[in-house]
Amino acid sequence: MSPAKPPPPKARRRGGAVFIVLRKELLDALRDRRTLLTLLLSSVAVGPLVLWLLSTMVAGIEERAERREVMVAGIEHAPSLRNYLQRQTYVVRAAPADYEAQLRSRRLGDPVLVVEPAFEADLLRGEPPLVQLVFSSANTRAAAGASRLAALMQGFNQEQALLRLAWRGVAPSALQAVQVDERDLASPAARAAQWTMLLPFFVLMAVLYGALHAALDATAGERERGSLEPLLMNPVPTWAIVLGKWAAVSAVAMLIALLSCASFLPGQWLLRSESLAALFRFGLREGALFLALLLPLAGALSALLMALAIRSRSVKEAQAGAAALALLVSLLPMLSLFGQEGEARWHLAVPALAQITLMGRVLKAEAMSPLELALPLGVCVLMCVACLGYVAHRLRRAALA
Amino acid sequence: MIEFRSVARCFVQGRGRSARRVQAVDGLSWVAADGCISGLLGPNGAGKTTLLRMAAALLEPDAGQVRVDGLDVATQREAALARVGVLGDARGLYPRLTARENIVYHARLQGLSEEAAQARTDSVARMLQMQPLLERRTEGFSQGERMKTALARALVHDPHNIVLDEPTNGLDVPATRALRDTLRMLRDEHGKCIVFSTHLMQEVERLCDQVLVMARGRAVAQGTVGELCAQSGETDFERCFVRLAFGEAAA
Repeated sequence: MSPAKPPPPKARRRGGAVFIVLRKELLDALRDRRTLLTLLLSSVAVGPLVLWLLSTMVAGIEERAERREVMVAGIEHAPSLRNYLQRQTYVVRAAPADYEAQLRSRRLGDPVLVVEPAFEADLLRGEPPLVQLVFSSANTRAAAGASRLAALMQGFNQEQALLRLAWRGVAPSALQAVQVDERDLASPAARAAQWTMLLPFFVLMAVLYGALHAALDATAGERERGSLEPLLMNPVPTWAIVLGKWAAVSAVAMLIALLSCASFLPGQWLLRSESLAALFRFGLREGALFLALLLPLAGALSALLMALAIRSRSVKEAQAGAAALALLVSLLPMLSLFGQEGEARWHLAVPALAQITLMGRVLKAEAMSPLELALPLGVCVLMCVACLGYVAHRLRRAALA
Repeated sequence: MIEFRSVARCFVQGRGRSARRVQAVDGLSWVAADGCISGLLGPNGAGKTTLLRMAAALLEPDAGQVRVDGLDVATQREAALARVGVLGDARGLYPRLTARENIVYHARLQGLSEEAAQARTDSVARMLQMQPLLERRTEGFSQGERMKTALARALVHDPHNIVLDEPTNGLDVPATRALRDTLRMLRDEHGKCIVFSTHLMQEVERLCDQVLVMARGRAVAQGTVGELCAQSGETDFERCFVRLAFGEAAA
């Protein structure tokens, strides 16, 4: 036993306490290897995984377009149509007998042309024969090919009409009162963004789940263990403890954000579709913009989760609240998806929704004004301050209850 | 020295119409002196824990004042807390940290440098005979091992005043005896002011220089064990306590 000593010096800076709490919380989080490893692996895996799934789907659609095959039921009734299709370098295949069932159950990935037996006779008599274009809009692969097939039939129509007009001595230009020229306004990046709009959502969820465990452990977990009361009996201001804990939780969430953004860079190599690979541009600049949007949000979500959890006596109880928050965040992208008015200004004032919207714009390579970047940042800062203030306010009461 | 000057604290239980006011501590004055082990004795719900929580600045009194070595706990919270070591009701440890890391964390929050915190942890562990525990994670510690770690955590900044809320709860006989020896040593060699609450008569008889008997938030008697027995006219301390705490009828 050491001899009686004078009381230790109390000349510690208050900021020092924040750092001590931060260091302990990080050490505690690092010791929870299994949880941390699961979080890190899933956040690193999410980028490449989503990219790979998307590219497989897009590649499938492209492959179908390149294959130049047409499924026709009853082609034997229409030699002239077969002749036309073959001249367009298409391979004509007979549709399976149960094509309707197959299209419904999505086993068949191509739309089907149905030709009536009287096709050739009707055509000769000058009566328009009926050709059915069968697809299912619930079957994405088949629906994607339907417009191509419709255009093909339009070509056949036009050829027949031109032949008839020419036979009657009418100039073909009489048929074209108006010349229609298509001009697609979408830039290559915007076209790819149709497919990659899912990415911001997955990154955001990874950040939310990254913060969740640490936030609950640092608040409700501390209460459940009964270690909050002894902690508050140290001569340290409550705000310093709250700030230290928040810094640790945010650090974990930000690490997840960093990892999941970084995972897109090598993730691009997995792109199977060449056109998607050419269109999906995620370089260092995009990564940096993603991070600039996500880091403040990681801090704000950490604070919000802590504020939700400090009311709960146990981690289990707090998880219910956190699950509700996760559900809410995952519903936010639906707003812009189903919203008829498209992107509204107020979207940028809603945390999470603002970040998803802006990350989408980064992928589309659209310009963003400084105000549009500053507004979500301001909202995040406000949310942090409000939530941390609430946690500090509740902390002592929570320790005793 | 810890002084309670006519402190009062009430709680509201329930909400709305069913709300009930409970006067946990009701105008209590008491001084726990230096170099003295003071026992706080009372039946369940007498207000012992509330009183000790006010000394630890976890609760603010509605009225009155708590002073630690002359410092007002309400207005000089941090200075006062630096002079108290509290082993409260809640003794939670961080299961993923070792006993040493648990203790050093609190030492650092008490303002000790890293080296000083490590050195004090070693000396407190020696005093409590828990060196073999230090490098183990506290996950899976027995009740006695947890208690020792929590006590070491409370004593690590070498506080002049030590407040213990039912410290022998869940301890076996050797651990209880070791704790008693430690408390006596802290009193005799270091002149500490030690306050501890209990509902075990035996503990009080063996250890306490001064006793405060509490009932319904009030101080019903104080003095040495001998004085209290004389006051109540009983020779057996347990009978004496029952008479003092629950009134003539109960005895």
